[in-house]
Amino acid sequence: MAFARWVPGPSRPVLFFLLKTLPLLVLLTFSSAAPPAASSPAAVHNNNWAVLVCTSRFWFNYRHMANTLSLYRTVKRLGIPDERIILMLADDMACNPRNNYPAQVFNNENHQLNLYGDNVEVDYRGYEVTVENFLRVLTGRHESAVPRSKRLLSDEGSHILLYMTGHGGDEFLKFQDNEELQSHDLADAVKQMKEKHRFKELLIMVDTCQAATLFSQLQSPGVLAIGSSMKGENSYSHHLDSDIGVSVVDRFTFHTLAFFEKLNMYSNASLNSLFNSYDPSMLLSTAYYRMDLYKRALNEVMAR
Amino acid sequence: MMPPSTARRLCFLSLLLLLLLLAAAASATADAAAAEEFTEELLLRPLPDRKALAHFHFRSSAPPASAAGRHHHLFPKAISQLVQKFHISELELSFTQGRWNYEQWGGYDPMSTNNAKPPGVELWAIFDLPLAEIDATWKNLTHTLSGLFCASINFLESSTAFSAPRWGFKLNEGNLRYGALPREAVCTENLTPWLKLLPCRDKAGIASLLYRPSVYKGYYHSQKLKLKSSQSLGIILDQTLTVVLQPNTVSGKQLHSTGGQLQPSWSMEHLFSKKLSGKCLVSKSSRVFVEIEKGIVDNVDKAGSDVSSNNDLFVLSTAPDRSLKELDNLEVQSSSLYEYDVNNYNSDKPLNVGITWKLPLIWSCTRAPYHASRFLMGSGNERGSIAMSFLSTGLDKQLVDSSNDCSIKAVVFQVVPWYVKVYYHSLEVFIDGNSKAISEVVDKIHVTPSEDKLLPGTMEMLLKFPCSMQLATLTLDFDKGFLHIDEYPPDANQGFDIPSALVSFPEFNSSRSYPEADPLFVSPLLENFKEDGVVKSYTEVLLVPLTTPDFSMPYNVITFTCTVLALYFGSLLNALRRRIGEEERGLKKAGILNKRGLIPLLIAKLRGQKVDPSESESTSPASLPRSKLLLKVVFVAVVAIVFHYLSNS
Repeated sequence: MAFARWVPGPSRPVLFFLLKTLPLLVLLTFSSAAPPAASSPAAVHNNNWAVLVCTSRFWFNYRHMANTLSLYRTVKRLGIPDERIILMLADDMACNPRNNYPAQVFNNENHQLNLYGDNVEVDYRGYEVTVENFLRVLTGRHESAVPRSKRLLSDEGSHILLYMTGHGGDEFLKFQDNEELQSHDLADAVKQMKEKHRFKELLIMVDTCQAATLFSQLQSPGVLAIGSSMKGENSYSHHLDSDIGVSVVDRFTFHTLAFFEKLNMYSNASLNSLFNSYDPSMLLSTAYYRMDLYKRALNEVMAR
Repeated sequence: MMPPSTARRLCFLSLLLLLLLLAAAASATADAAAAEEFTEELLLRPLPDRKALAHFHFRSSAPPASAAGRHHHLFPKAISQLVQKFHISELELSFTQGRWNYEQWGGYDPMSTNNAKPPGVELWAIFDLPLAEIDATWKNLTHTLSGLFCASINFLESSTAFSAPRWGFKLNEGNLRYGALPREAVCTENLTPWLKLLPCRDKAGIASLLYRPSVYKGYYHSQKLKLKSSQSLGIILDQTLTVVLQPNTVSGKQLHSTGGQLQPSWSMEHLFSKKLSGKCLVSKSSRVFVEIEKGIVDNVDKAGSDVSSNNDLFVLSTAPDRSLKELDNLEVQSSSLYEYDVNNYNSDKPLNVGITWKLPLIWSCTRAPYHASRFLMGSGNERGSIAMSFLSTGLDKQLVDSSNDCSIKAVVFQVVPWYVKVYYHSLEVFIDGNSKAISEVVDKIHVTPSEDKLLPGTMEMLLKFPCSMQLATLTLDFDKGFLHIDEYPPDANQGFDIPSALVSFPEFNSSRSYPEADPLFVSPLLENFKEDGVVKSYTEVLLVPLTTPDFSMPYNVITFTCTVLALYFGSLLNALRRRIGEEERGLKKAGILNKRGLIPLLIAKLRGQKVDPSESESTSPASLPRSKLLLKVVFVAVVAIVFHYLSNS
């Protein structure tokens, strides 16, 4: 267990114990595919949503766009339709005049996979990606004229994946070099979501520098959060594509995708195996996850 | 008891009546069900500057709502709901990247009049509502379209972004609203929902040719959605995509034996990396046209051969099914169209239309009477000028009398955002370098001045230029305004855009008529060509650099203030609490402090040695401090030199 060495703090023995018993749990529950009973008696998991946010603008932040589009493609491939995905891209990379490959976005220098494809629907683009719009999407408090495709219409049976990438720091995430989303803003929004029964379970993935600090203020139950680095650490890009001229993917997202590319819609992999696949020496940072708010054991398929 | 013949007659009559009723009912339902139609067409044309134009045209039509109800089988429901909810009678939405090159690609034909659009997003709509409700409906419409087409069209909702021209854009009674976003990006996410409005999407038919990297690698691409709705005709939806591409062929660079350079020979496969393998099965007709323009036709005539698909100058790769010749006013043949019916082709025998040039050829496309362009003048962040120039292209006006009364009318429509405060009284006109009075040139002008943060400045002008004029220039002065810090976009230092101005020439008509061989069916593309279209051209978008504040100032202010406060409070506390020299006096009292110097004292203290007060310096007091000073200086110099060498190695 690569994690055991790196976890700091007084809860180390507890975490040790937990981590040792988790594989046993996984083995036990791996055979039975049925998910355990929901935490609230009325809500049954019946739909999945994804909110994918890229908060960086300008050509040199190509990799953040590629991160988000990689997750978009993965999430679509594993079964969530466009109507249930809110994609927010802060700039246009595919048809950017500096892009040598118009309408194509790559996350690997071998250019094997065109992330943009033929069928992509971006719900918020360009100047619309602001902290205000992001919080409105999460809490569902829009003006009356906003169309349905731009709203997160989740209910108490929804499992939501929230993925954010961009530049961040201690307790904040930068939006378009102009404004910031603070960790307590995010915690407030999630609390509102919980009170309005807008999700049953929420998985937050953050790929920025010092990502773990962004969800340090969360208090709502049913939330699982994973960040690409801890406080004081940077998240690094994976490799530079000398043809396009900029880095094309970040390390955390690259390894996440490497895990998901082996799956299809019918696989039964668990989150625990995802977390175990993160090797700090490959990431050059510590992927930190916070599961104290999450009641179930980590045996759940992402897309189901 | 009725006689048997009468009974039989009655029976026969009732049967006949029943049959008639059934037939009527059947025809009625057949009429209603068959009235939703879909046609798809593609037009290919070689351009003089070695590029190729491809124009996709899809038309869906739905009968009036009262006849068909709310069920559609071909027409996109999203559009019919849009029309009904917002009471739209006409709407046009275009997404464009690139600039239409009027010099090379023409400005006088229906293609450039209808499909040359300004960069970014342009939306205009005519509503069938009382005037007071139109602004609120426009706002809801922009939001709905932004959700439908994945674009930020919702930025047109505020009153600072749209305008209501009366006659400069299109003649109306005040129910037209116009808005443009010059900086909107156009990419696959705008094409995806646009294609989903077609019955076959991009899976079959002509739309299957749309290979996205080819489309977006072009020099100009513009997708347009135009709809017209009326109670009598129902809704007609025209979706067009116009792309100008550089065909990637090897033969493009060959030199011909005569010394000239051949135009590149291309085919559909070169343009789109695909061949057309059949039509969309629900389409009423599916055709591909190749247009050979007047310039080429004239050259072929000069070379002596007739304009067939295989002549001395070029040859088409597949024999066309039909060829149509355009007849202009004087019954002289100008351009010609070669038509291919996609019904005759399928996946075993795909259609790959192409053109191969045999001889080098140079031709030019007909241009609009004036080439309109716009630019900024002035420097600095306080004021500037917008200048619009009209350069004559030599198109003769077909008027008998060439006296002083000959004039060419031009209508200019321009919307300027409020932060570029135009002074309309400063309008000056220069014709061939000479300043003219406004009343000589401007026939009619309607200005809606801008209001800060409320309205943009709209200008509609009707100008009359003398026929003999070569160059006209109009200038308008403006002041640059200030925005609130929250109103600046994230990349504020790039500048702010003034949308394209529209220049139209009402006396020039760009319609073309092709005599249709098949009277039963009219091609929508050719129908559009036949429509009376006024020659129009759009000018460039202007980029105005405005003063931007130093966005790091809030951070700087906080840092400076905190530093100042820290220094102030620090020194205040020091002044209040610390007594200077107290420690020294205490030590002196104890007799500890001697003239040994601070560093040895510190070292001794560190070592924990007790400082012996009886020790005292015996050497002369004057030279020792000086030698000590020298030693210290030498020590520091040695350390510096060592550090310098270590850092450089």
